[in-house]
Amino acid sequence: MRLGVDVPYLYGDPIKCTGCRICELYCAFCHEKALNPKKARLRVVRMEPAIDKPIACRQCADPPCAKVCPTEAITRNNKVDVVILNQSKCIGCGACVEACPFGAIWLHPESKKAIKCDLCQACIKRCPTNALSVVTSEKFANQKRLDLVNRLKPIMLERIQMPRE
Amino acid sequence: MFKYGGYAGQILEVDLTRGKTLTKPLDKKLARGYLGGAGLCSRVLYDEVGPRTRPLGPENVLIIAAGPLTGTLFPQASRHVIAAKSPLTDIWGESHAAGHWGPEMKFAGFDAIVFRGRSPRPVYLWIDNGKVEIRDARKLWGHDVYETDDMIKEELGDGMIKLLYIGQAGENLVRFAAVMNDLDRASARSGMGAVMGSKRLKAIAVRGERDIPIADKKNYVKLMDELHAKMLADPFTQGRADYGTPSLVELMNEIGRLPTRNYETGVFEHAEEIGGKLIRRKYLVKPRADFACLQRCGRYTCVPEGPYKYIGGSPEYETLACMGSKCGIGNVEAILYMHYLCNRYGMDTCSCGGTIAWAMECFERGLITEKDTGGLDLSFGNHETMVEIVKMIAVRKGFGNLLAEGSYRAAQKIGRGAEKYFMGIKKQELAGQDGRAQKSMGLGNATAARGADHLYAFPVLDEVGFEKAIKERFGAKYLPEMGEKLNPKYKGLMVKECEDFAVVVESVGICKYGTMIPPTFYYKDVLRALNATTGMGLRERELRRIGERIVNLNRMFNVREGIRRKDDTLPERLLKEPSPEGPPKGHVVELDQMLDEYYKLRDWDLRTGLPIEKKLRKLGLDFTIKDLRRARRKRG
Repeated sequence: MRLGVDVPYLYGDPIKCTGCRICELYCAFCHEKALNPKKARLRVVRMEPAIDKPIACRQCADPPCAKVCPTEAITRNNKVDVVILNQSKCIGCGACVEACPFGAIWLHPESKKAIKCDLCQACIKRCPTNALSVVTSEKFANQKRLDLVNRLKPIMLERIQMPRE
Repeated sequence: MFKYGGYAGQILEVDLTRGKTLTKPLDKKLARGYLGGAGLCSRVLYDEVGPRTRPLGPENVLIIAAGPLTGTLFPQASRHVIAAKSPLTDIWGESHAAGHWGPEMKFAGFDAIVFRGRSPRPVYLWIDNGKVEIRDARKLWGHDVYETDDMIKEELGDGMIKLLYIGQAGENLVRFAAVMNDLDRASARSGMGAVMGSKRLKAIAVRGERDIPIADKKNYVKLMDELHAKMLADPFTQGRADYGTPSLVELMNEIGRLPTRNYETGVFEHAEEIGGKLIRRKYLVKPRADFACLQRCGRYTCVPEGPYKYIGGSPEYETLACMGSKCGIGNVEAILYMHYLCNRYGMDTCSCGGTIAWAMECFERGLITEKDTGGLDLSFGNHETMVEIVKMIAVRKGFGNLLAEGSYRAAQKIGRGAEKYFMGIKKQELAGQDGRAQKSMGLGNATAARGADHLYAFPVLDEVGFEKAIKERFGAKYLPEMGEKLNPKYKGLMVKECEDFAVVVESVGICKYGTMIPPTFYYKDVLRALNATTGMGLRERELRRIGERIVNLNRMFNVREGIRRKDDTLPERLLKEPSPEGPPKGHVVELDQMLDEYYKLRDWDLRTGLPIEKKLRKLGLDFTIKDLRRARRKRG
């Protein structure tokens, strides 16, 4: 298990995402030269009201998919901070699919072996609304803290501008 | 495998009478000659449907087709086309929609589905990655689009399948019923929903996991990156993403083209109260894109409280004009809600609004009284009544039963001179355009194959001044006249060229946004993408000829049904009553002058509007010549 908090992963913003699935197509084509969203390594889930959420592997620090893989096809490379899936070792049993709490790993429609996001980032620059980015939990939390504290600004400004006696 | 990339390579034929399905390979000559989508529909319907076909009889044929670019990375490649003989116009009927359904049909292995016959009981079709099943839909019958969506997803146990369906309006054979897909996407015009209802076909569910093959794999990403960059760099794109088409309300009002109170005028005093700026500020939840769409003009809106509370898809400009200004409605929440109702019932908002606007004018003029309406006060602007009427039309209740026939048939039935106020062409209601304020739109509506229709030509180059595009597409010598919306000069040429290009756009499966408005991509870009995708090696000349071929074939379909020059006309009001205010004040549509220019360029007979034999032969339409000769004999 990797210690530390700066684990990068592909994040999809459900507010910015409009559900066009250009990322799915580019992903599939960049990986396999085929236009087929089912071969993409990320999926955009659409649900009403107005939710479009890109889902991809979060490169967990302690990946449950690796734990259950009977052939050790999934390992975590801590040097490059990516959970790596070795296709040649994969037997397509789907144990990882059951284990992943996000549904971020699934079986390829033809080879029936597991596929997941390898953080190649081909999708990121093609997203027309910049809904995709590589984040780390630390950065994410940092931003959330900043957003939260930002809300205190008007209160502080009011205080500063108050006449002092 | 199919010879060309881009195609799924198969057509599904469904015999609803016998409950049988058949998978056939796509004819590669058909693909090369007509591309797909609208072109494919055009050829299949010409061969199988004719003057003896009753639009709502089992002998009508319903086709749903995608194009070779549908489901690919071309910007806005999300379109499918639905065609059949129209129950509203009794001539060529077609309708288009975006969404995620068309691409999914291709991923499931089919370029098109052809429906024949009539099922003895309500059914729906389930296509699971090439496997086809006709399933019982008795318990779905009577449910609206939103409910049907939930019920089928639950029944099939997959929330990610893509669905296309009709609501109660289609079941009840409302003549302007729409076919809906992905909840809020509508193939609205020419009553395709009624045809689907007449076949007792409630829905088509698809799920696919097959590839769309690409011919030029090596250069594909580079080319698509380039086209995406070009689309995103267009200043129009951000505006579309921010406001969608509702911002046209303010713009059209400014140029005096916003149809108000059944075309009494083109300036609406409440335009700002129903416009794009207000909708964005007060009701927008989120822009929502269709498949591979960079324009993201789709909206999701919400009225959080009050009598018109709803959450769902948002109206386009056409709806705001047809159900708003045209009916004198300045209450935006009512319009949003009626649009939501139309989506759930599965109804065309243009014809629904147009029909109600006609009824309102007749009511105000005393041609329709409370005796006809069952006590309803149909004055312009009465939104409470209008909401009730929309519901009554969908279920054909009371006065709604008459209006469900469309304003042309309703006017015939009422008589008393009510026909004069029918604002449509070839039995279909006009959408949100007043040709007096934009002459090209006047001509385009008159010549469109499916009756009154702004989209067949979609001549928008003179609408907000795309001079640069006019220069590129036609040449500088046509400026400034071609770019002037009140000047009839060169509009025949513009409409002809726009029609040819528009049918190519609808045949390859891409959107008119990005090709017509903004005019970012033209033949050259489409051709590059088409050749990279399919490997057809087409040249621009051939692509242009395909466009002409399809327009002429649609014309021959209509000629066979008796359509002549006399039918390529506009309501009397637009031809004789000058526009009363705004920039077009004093203007009527100089139709004859523009029509002459258009016919000449098309090689159609000036007096009759019939194509000439030589032209048809040149376009490879030899099989239509016997029908042309028959049509000529009929005249003489």
